[in-house]
This record gives sequence, structure tokens and C-alpha cells, in this order.
Amino acid sequence: MIRFENVDKWYGPMQALAGVSGEVRRGEVKVLVGPSGCGKSTLIRTVTRLEAIQGGRVLVDGVDVGARGVNINRLRQRVGFVFQAYNLFPHLSAIGNITLGLTKLRKMGKAEARERALAELARVGLAAKAEEMPGKLSGGQRQRVAIARSLAMDPEVMLFDEPTSALDPEMVGEVLAAIKQLATNGMTMICVTHEMGFAREVADEVWFMERGAVVERGRPADLINSSAHPRLQRFLRTFA
Amino acid sequence: MLEILQNNWLLFLVGQYPHGPIGGLTMTLFMALTALALCFPFAICLALARLSPYRWLRLSATAIVHTVRGLPLIMFIFWTYFFSPLIIGRAVGGVETLIIALVVYEAAYLSEIIRAGIQGLPKGQFEAASALGLGYWTTTWKIVLPQALHNMLPSMVSQFVSTIKETSLGYVISAHEMTFAASQVNNVLLTQPFEVYAILALTYFVLCFALTSLARYIERRISAGRVAVATPAVAVAV
Repeated sequence: MIRFENVDKWYGPMQALAGVSGEVRRGEVKVLVGPSGCGKSTLIRTVTRLEAIQGGRVLVDGVDVGARGVNINRLRQRVGFVFQAYNLFPHLSAIGNITLGLTKLRKMGKAEARERALAELARVGLAAKAEEMPGKLSGGQRQRVAIARSLAMDPEVMLFDEPTSALDPEMVGEVLAAIKQLATNGMTMICVTHEMGFAREVADEVWFMERGAVVERGRPADLINSSAHPRLQRFLRTFA
Repeated sequence: MLEILQNNWLLFLVGQYPHGPIGGLTMTLFMALTALALCFPFAICLALARLSPYRWLRLSATAIVHTVRGLPLIMFIFWTYFFSPLIIGRAVGGVETLIIALVVYEAAYLSEIIRAGIQGLPKGQFEAASALGLGYWTTTWKIVLPQALHNMLPSMVSQFVSTIKETSLGYVISAHEMTFAASQVNNVLLTQPFEVYAILALTYFVLCFALTSLARYIERRISAGRVAVATPAVAVAV
């Protein structure tokens, strides 16, 4: 479903991604962990070309994301992205945030779009907050609206960029529950997170990144119990 | 001063109407509002062009904005006044001339306000729109402009205040507005220029001060709203 082939990314003289390769198959859940600045967010941002890359290729369903002539907006509709800072549109209500993509991209009528949006909000437990403006919602609720907004587009893959890092601790659970639900239903996902407990529960494979490269990968239980990589062990002691 | 006002208030308010053209304060407000309304679409186009990824579009828009901002308004009034009859082949009245000149002039200033509004939006808004797969125009009309224009409302009211004051230059081409009315009164009375122009100044001041206060009020409301939607500060993950 998603393939990284020797991906290189530079920010000026700083190399953010150094020859990253890997594959995410349909239905798989990969969890990316690693210290700040290791390139894990950058890596998932390359999948929908939110970041351009300088070397290698990123393929979604065999299509090179960076190739000329690729309809990037069409591709982005198939790949949901959830941001750390939610990035809801503050001038639109919760439901308005969701119906915008449905009416403009899926060409649904108003009534159909509302119905679909309400169903998505119900799925994340927020049907009652449909008409609220984002400013009136808690952080956890905003992130769940953002997840519903992505899901409404019927994506084949979901990418989560530290979805709980900006949340107060008591709200982390509700957002993780929504993501777990998705994993249970077989959604293909890549999730950048520091929540090791969550990684253990849902990940088919954990990729541990450091300095722009994936230095360890394996089933969560194996990684967490192994003593293979001292840097990983230190990382786990901090976060697990 | 009160006596002057008592005898001439109608002239200050509507000019010679109904015995002549509408003028006075009414025409001042009409010209300022019309100019601002008409320049709005141009200002939006200029602002978008200045932020365009296409170099030629960006450079031409920047050149236009800098040229207009580097020249005094009275130049545009004179040019419109003397050249538009040559172009359209008939005389153009003072009011039309002033409105055209103001549209050109204000479009450049308003475009800078709109551009600042767009650039002031958080990067996450553009990214969220991209991530959904929204195209440039949908993003611009549904996400960017509604927020940018709302945030820039106070600056736009201030620009309206400037425009009101600038209409007084219409006097030099005999556009019937409030300053023109005041000078007519002065020409009749001959001996009381201080009082006549004090009335004029006071009228401009009350109007503009009220609008400036409105701008401040809107600004406070908007920044209060912004605190409510502000997302918690997060470290930028690379």
C-alpha cells in the first residue's frame, strides 16, 4: 500500500531523512517512535507530499507521490492525515469542518453530506457536538472531530502525526480509543506517537527512528523486550 | 458658529439637493463606500497575485502595488480627470472621477491588508486543507479568505476612515462632497472662514472617530475570540 524507497530529505544542510526504506501493507498498523527531531513526522508527511523529498521514492498503491503529473489532490483524498495541533477550521462548526470536503470533493448534496458527517461524528462519540464551533470544544474533542473529518473522505490509509501530544493527559485516552477502534476495523495506518502502551496494543510493527533513519523494526513485544539497541532501550525507559 | 450651522446644515448634509446635485456629507459617505466596495475584488486579486507561486504574476502585482503606493492620490485624480475624457470620448463628472481614482488607489492599500491577513493565518490551516485534498480555489474561498478577512476587519474599517478623509480632495475637481459644500458656504459668508472650516473639521472628526472606535471594538472582540480557539503551544516535530 505504501512503500518508501531510499527516501532522502534535506532541510538546507540538515538531513532529515537518510535513505529510509520500508513497506506498509494493506491492513497493517505501523507505529513510528523515536526521539524528537528523528524524522518520524517528516516521514509520514512525505506520503501526501506535505514535504517534498530530494532522493528516493514514496509509492502509494504503486503510484510515485513525487512524480510529475500525479494528481496530488486526488491522492490526498485517499490518504487521511491527522495533525498534532488538530488544525480544524476555526470558522466552521464541527460538522462544517467535515461536510466541506464531502460537498466540494465528493460532490455530495448538502443533506447527504450532513448525514455522512453526523455518522462520522457519532463514530467518535461527538454527534451531540455537531453544531459547536471548534473554539468551544476541548482538545480531545477537537482531535476526534479532526479524525472524523479525515474518515469522512473514506481514506484507504490513515496517517497520525503525534495525535495526542498536544492533549492534556486526561484526554489522551478518548483519542487513542478512537484510533484503536479504527485499527480493530482493519484500517491501514501509520501512527507517530510516544504512547508505548498504545503501540504495544495496536502495532503490527514498530519502527524506531533515529537521525533520519529507521534503526530498529520489529513486533512491539520483541522490540520492547530485546536489548538489541541500547538507544532504543533508553528511549523506552523514558516513555514506556 | 451655531448660526452658520442653522442656516446651512442642509447644504452640509446633502449639498444643493433637491435643487441641484446631491453633495455634502451624503456624497462623501457615498463616494467612500462605493470606492471601497468597488476596489474590494481588485484588492483580493492583487493580494492573491502577490502570494502566487507564479513569478510573473507575483512580480507584476508587486510592481502595481508599489507604484500606486509611491504616488500621491491627487496624481490619480488628475490623471483620471484629464485622461478619461480622451479615452471614453466624453466629459466625466467630478464624482465619477474621484471614485475611479479612489478605487485604483485604495485597491493597492487594501490588497496589502488582505495579504497580511492571509500570511497571518497559521500554516496548519493550509496544511489541513492540502491534506484533505482541497484545491487552491476551494482552499482560498472556503478556508483562507473567510478567516483572513474576518481577522482584518479592524484594518479595513481604518482604511475606510482614510478613504472618507481622502474624498475631500474631490474639492479640486469640483466633486460635490462635504468640503465642496463648506467652501460654497464660505464663499457666501466671506468673513467667517475659521468657523465654517471648524464645522467641516468637526464633522469629519466625529465621523472618523466613531469609525476608529468601532475598529478598536471589533479588534478587541476578534482577539478575544482568538484566545478561545488558540490551540495549545506544541513543539514542532520534525
